[in-house]
Amino acid sequence: MNAAVPGWAGVLASVSLVALTVVVAWRRRLRLGREITFAAVRAGLQLAAVGAILLVVFKHTGLVGAFGWLAAMTLIAGQVAGRRARGLPGATVTATTAVAVGTAATLGVLLVLEVIEARPRVVIPAGGMVVSGAMQFTAVVLIRLRDEARTARLQVEARLALGLSAADAFAPHLRSALRTALIPVIDSTKTVGLISLPGAMTGLILAGVDPFTAIRYQIVVMYMLLAASALAVLTAARLTERVLFDEAHRLRPLPDQSPI
Amino acid sequence: MSISGGPSPVLVLEGVTVRRSSALLLDGVTCRVPAGACTMLVGPSGAGKSTLLRLLNRFEEPTAGAVSYQGRPLPAWDVLALRREVALVAQRPVVLTDRVLDELRIGRPDLDEDAAAALLGRLGLPSGAVGRATSGLSGGEAQRVCLARALAVEPHVLLVDEPTSALDAHATKAVERVIGELVADGMTVVVVSHDAAQVRRIADQVLVLEDGRLIASGTADRIASLQEGV
Repeated sequence: MNAAVPGWAGVLASVSLVALTVVVAWRRRLRLGREITFAAVRAGLQLAAVGAILLVVFKHTGLVGAFGWLAAMTLIAGQVAGRRARGLPGATVTATTAVAVGTAATLGVLLVLEVIEARPRVVIPAGGMVVSGAMQFTAVVLIRLRDEARTARLQVEARLALGLSAADAFAPHLRSALRTALIPVIDSTKTVGLISLPGAMTGLILAGVDPFTAIRYQIVVMYMLLAASALAVLTAARLTERVLFDEAHRLRPLPDQSPI
Repeated sequence: MSISGGPSPVLVLEGVTVRRSSALLLDGVTCRVPAGACTMLVGPSGAGKSTLLRLLNRFEEPTAGAVSYQGRPLPAWDVLALRREVALVAQRPVVLTDRVLDELRIGRPDLDEDAAAALLGRLGLPSGAVGRATSGLSGGEAQRVCLARALAVEPHVLLVDEPTSALDAHATKAVERVIGELVADGMTVVVVSHDAAQVRRIADQVLVLEDGRLIASGTADRIASLQEGV
């Protein structure tokens, strides 16, 4: 066993940190003890199950299993991001499509250019990072677009009343939502390594790879995340715009549900 | 202007009903909006005046019945072209840009500064207003800038929802004068108003709505005499 990877005894020892958190929460009367325990147990069981399935996929199913795994992750990510934008018609379909487009395009380019190897051991972790990033930023843009459609109805209708198309009338609001969604990923790309060591690089260093090799992987990962997020967000925005307006360039009324 | 035997209708509503969820906003309204005249929609709040106005540029769609413009059903028109011909100014002034000139150029990007200043002057705003920041406009000034923004598109029909509700007497007079001039120039104007005196001052035709139904129509004098007789 690699000395850098903790054994099961080490994992059990780390439970003491969860216990410490529960004690702190209890002493501060936060009433979060049960939730923290549930989250920690759930995370452990989920990761154990994922590890077991990955073992099977790596050994027996090849690339077909790997892409099946990614498709399942995409569907789950679409559900999660879509639920965040409750009240926006078709949000789940939009989010799933956006995550799928961002993931497929980014991974596709990296595989075709042979930047990453077409092996389950590579495709699944790399794809997982892409799906996760795309999901996060897709949720942000969907929430923003829904809120813009609710709060800026008068502004949008003022433009429509002057004969502007739905796309032109909504363009300032779309731009604002896109900027809000993309600025965090741009900022994290700018500050990568300065504020914290990113995940892929950390993992490689912990696994014994020398830092200069690890950064090559991290650079690819960062660019991959940047492109996937941008593509997912743009796809989500374009699809949402179609849902928000009808064929007569009218902003559809949205059900008045409070955001979650 | 006499309505009976007057100019041909530019907008026609035939048995228009608008239902949203369980609410009946308009109930079988049939009426005509004559060309080159000022038609005023009056009635209590919730009578369906704004809904009727929004039907005319397809911001609303009838649940039943039909609306036509220049003899063609509204859905047969390219909706963007229709909205440039039938411009709507909403009740609450909404400014969209930082500068008054930019505001007037939203629907008419090629509008030059002199034309913009002339448009503002016509609405009783000083010519220097063209270079002003929209953030410094009073409610009344913003309302008139919104009116100028719609007029910059050079529509054939102007739909205005309570244009003077936020204006002082001087600004109200300026807006009423402009509406009068526009009508004299042949424009069709449809105005929602709560102001009975204003109706008498500028209306050629009055449509009275109540609970979504058209309960009376005619000249301002006829409507006034009907109301006095009640």
